[in-house]
Amino acid sequence: MPQVQSKMSSEIEQGTEEFNFPQGIAGFPNATRFGFIYEGRGNMVCMQSIDMPEAAFILTPWEEDRLGEAPALSQEQRQCLDMVEEAALIWMVVLNPFADPEWVTANLKAPLAINMSAKRGIQCIRKEPDLELRYQWMHQPDKE
Amino acid sequence: MMVLRRKAGEAIRIGDDIRIVIQEVQNGRIVRFGIEAPADVAVHRLEIYELIQAENRAASSADALAWLKGGSDATGAEQDE
Repeated sequence: MPQVQSKMSSEIEQGTEEFNFPQGIAGFPNATRFGFIYEGRGNMVCMQSIDMPEAAFILTPWEEDRLGEAPALSQEQRQCLDMVEEAALIWMVVLNPFADPEWVTANLKAPLAINMSAKRGIQCIRKEPDLELRYQWMHQPDKE
Repeated sequence: MMVLRRKAGEAIRIGDDIRIVIQEVQNGRIVRFGIEAPADVAVHRLEIYELIQAENRAASSADALAWLKGGSDATGAEQDE
C-alpha cells in the first residue's frame, strides 16, 4: 500500500482510510470526509473529498526549517481533534498550484492539523496579519 | 437580518447548542463576545474566514490529482476566487 513518509515521521496511507474534518473546510462546509492519495511526488499528497469531487487539495507537511514552529492548538481545537497523544498530530499546508504560473504557493494562514490516531482534522485559521496567504513554496514543476 | 438589543452580561442562544454572551462594550464602540459552541462548529472573524474561503476555492480542483500525477493541463490558470 503506497504511503507518504513525511518529515514529521508520520504516515498517511492510501486506500480505505477515511479522515473526518467535522468543521468541513472553509468554502466547502459539506466536505467533511476525505481520503489521501499519494502519487509518488515528493512530500505532496492529494486530499480528496469523498463527497465532493471538486474539493481536492494538494498538501505538504509543515516544514519547521522554513516556517518555524507549527502553530499551537487551542483547547477547542484539541477537543475537536480528539487529541490524546501529541505524537499523533501532524501539520500540513494547503498548496495552490493553480493561482500563479510561476509558483506553487502555500497558504500559511490556514494550515491543517490532523490527528493520525483519531483520523480527524481541522483547518486552523490564524488571525496573525503577517502570515502569507500565497507564500512562494516552490516553482511550478514545468518551470524548474 | 434579526436584530437584538443586549447589555453586557446578557446572552443570546442560537439553537440548543450555541450561546453568545456579551462580555463587555468598550467605549461604546467595540463589543467583546464569549461564544460557546460545539467543537464541530467553526467560529471565526468574518473577514479572515472569507479570505480563507476564497483561497481554498482557488486551491481546490477536481484536477488536483491530475496535477499531482504530473499533468500540466491544470497548471497556471487562475481559478474563480
